Amino acid sequence: MSHEIAQRHWDVIVIGTGIGGGTAGRALAEAGLKVLFVEKGPAGHRAEQTPLSPGIFVPEARVARGFWPGQMRANVDGRATRFFAPLGAGVGGSSVFYAATLERPEPHDLDHSAARPHPTGGWPVSWAEFAPWLDRAQALYRVCGTPDPLSDTPCPNLAPPPPLSRGDARLTEQFRAAGLHPYALHSAIAHLPGCKDCLGFKCPRACKMDGRSAGVEPALATGNAALLDRCTVTRLLGDGMRITGIEARRAGEMLSLTADHVVLAGGAFGSPRLCLASATESFPRGVANASGLVGRGLMFHLNEMFAIWPGGDDPSPSKAVGLRDLYWREGQRLGMVQAMGVAASYGEIAWYLRGLVENSALGRIPGAVGLTRIPAALAAKLLGTAKIFVGLLEDLPYDDNRVLPPEGDSDEIAVDYRIHDELRARRRLFRREIGRALRGQRKMFLTRRPELNFGHPSGTMRFGDDPARAVLRGDGRAHGIANLWEADAGFFPTSMGVNPSLSIAAQALRVADAIIREGTNGAR
Amino acid sequence: MARDDDRVKSGVALVTGAGRGLGRALARELAARGMLVAALGRDATSLTETANGSDRITPITADVSDFNSLRSAFEQVDALGPLTLLINNAALYPRRDLFDETPESFMQTVDVNLGGNFAATRLALDQMAGTGFGRILNVATFADLHPLPASAAYSVSKGAARILTRALVADLADRFPDIVISDWMPGMLATRMGIPDGLAPEQSATWGAELALWHDPALTGTTFEQAVEIPPPRGLKARIKDRLLGRHTPLRRLD
Repeated sequence: MSHEIAQRHWDVIVIGTGIGGGTAGRALAEAGLKVLFVEKGPAGHRAEQTPLSPGIFVPEARVARGFWPGQMRANVDGRATRFFAPLGAGVGGSSVFYAATLERPEPHDLDHSAARPHPTGGWPVSWAEFAPWLDRAQALYRVCGTPDPLSDTPCPNLAPPPPLSRGDARLTEQFRAAGLHPYALHSAIAHLPGCKDCLGFKCPRACKMDGRSAGVEPALATGNAALLDRCTVTRLLGDGMRITGIEARRAGEMLSLTADHVVLAGGAFGSPRLCLASATESFPRGVANASGLVGRGLMFHLNEMFAIWPGGDDPSPSKAVGLRDLYWREGQRLGMVQAMGVAASYGEIAWYLRGLVENSALGRIPGAVGLTRIPAALAAKLLGTAKIFVGLLEDLPYDDNRVLPPEGDSDEIAVDYRIHDELRARRRLFRREIGRALRGQRKMFLTRRPELNFGHPSGTMRFGDDPARAVLRGDGRAHGIANLWEADAGFFPTSMGVNPSLSIAAQALRVADAIIREGTNGAR
Repeated sequence: MARDDDRVKSGVALVTGAGRGLGRALARELAARGMLVAALGRDATSLTETANGSDRITPITADVSDFNSLRSAFEQVDALGPLTLLINNAALYPRRDLFDETPESFMQTVDVNLGGNFAATRLALDQMAGTGFGRILNVATFADLHPLPASAAYSVSKGAARILTRALVADLADRFPDIVISDWMPGMLATRMGIPDGLAPEQSATWGAELALWHDPALTGTTFEQAVEIPPPRGLKARIKDRLLGRHTPLRRLD
């Protein structure tokens, strides 16, 4: 099977099957192109309900579950830590584990204006050009929710949300009474009968829409696509102008694959790592790296987590409420606030409290970290019916924040990141504004230090018109390489104040459209 | 009874070691509750007797320690319908002084009590992983805690089978919460393997069937002895926590 696949020349090879790869591959296959998905992780069993668990550390067990096998080695402000980041490696990528929150960005996330100047001068695609792709992605992902009452741009293809839980309805009323503008969070869940929402774990049916259910599976159903799972792409080969082949490893065997076009969709860590690992005479600094920016400009969101006690007796976690009252304050880019979708349960709270102890003087006393489990259980009881919310604070691109080239064929992902002073300042403003917005409401911040959201990496293959300051062109094609494209969060020049998935899907549709229009031009 | 799960009951139950004793009683009890049962055993005559003319019980001759024979048995089970319940009941208990046990005879017991258990479970999972749904009940004992004399192979292999249950939970519980896996100690029975004044296997089988048809993900990893749950061992910290939180979980019962 894999030999037949390897010997065939494909129209397009898509490397990675998350939101970006799945969506692009689907659009290409539906347009009649012959598409090969190459996925590092396994297809897995469709009926699995696996949650993304950092507690599973045996690499083979991580692989079997569709987790990224290696650890993250993060050097943050000079302090090195190692941990398992919330990253997937299986069909659907990280998206099979996500909470399916598909929020639209704001026009000022893309466009520069005098009133809201853009930190990079604006994306190479304007809001007016990009919005129709967001609309299409919303339809494809069956997004439901209610429009943001503060928005003055239309939000088509938004299905009505399911009725709010009692707790969420109460919370919505209280937010409104406080002068805020809550709405039903935009969610890519089809709510089939018996739906369990599947926030944080694999959905056993095509109900939660992700890179697998809304991407790879419909692509395979066209008959125009094939999938090589458990297949690691080791190198991109080329002549400096084009990608002429792909070197991959599957079950200990080296494969060589060819296609007219190659779409990078291994995520904001995976795609730059592959480009940097592909340095040869033809691509001396790595593939698509004439600018030296591959891997640089790494952004995360800063998670600002807090608990609110709206009263009432509904113990279920809040998962359907969002608001954008703090998206833009005092001329600063902050971000949206949304329900976390998790209960104030033992595990979660223990995790936060453990973080607090580790960062305190107690952290140096052996055993103290383990001891937090008992107070954590008590805290869970005290928190009771608290609802957990998170503010997503926009991060801005800095060249010195980056993912490093892989060491050999190690799956460890190494990043260097510095929290810049302006980010700290905006974080203080964000916390203050959250506190103000919820004045009179019983609440508690759960984050003390800045908390990087390692599940929202972006920016490492940024797009832009100037080849000296961007890796990709505005259409998603690599500067200087005729048949190499990217469709994952790497393209983001700025991280925006919303979850990245909808924008990734929209860009993936744009890239697929550009490839369809391009045909074999430039490819051979 | 009220706890019987309709989805489990809509499929096929596979009971190993169904030619005699507890296995026969379990097969008959499940059939009496309306389930289709594949009764597996080595001896065709005793299996026919187990079925006793019931059209809900299909005898299938197979040896759980012969993996090829087990594979073809599973093909026959497939023809009956989707497998939703596996009861790993087949076991050997050769009472043998250590000097009468050869390496070969020792491993023969291990092959049935541990190997057969794993093989049947592994083949059942091919089916259950497809739907993400199923129930696996392992008939277990305390024989490993204080091995009796002349019981080395039995104690070791049945003890290992309990570890196997825990290993299955480690590998499967997070991925397949709706494949419910647990251990059940039937008690000392008046069977060939048990003791003359033991419990009637038919009585024990009502509890076993009740537990087998109870499909609650929270049962995964639990052990029941006869009709009552055995609480998991709690460490000091866990006990302090329970006390502080006023947490008291009543034991689950089958009767």
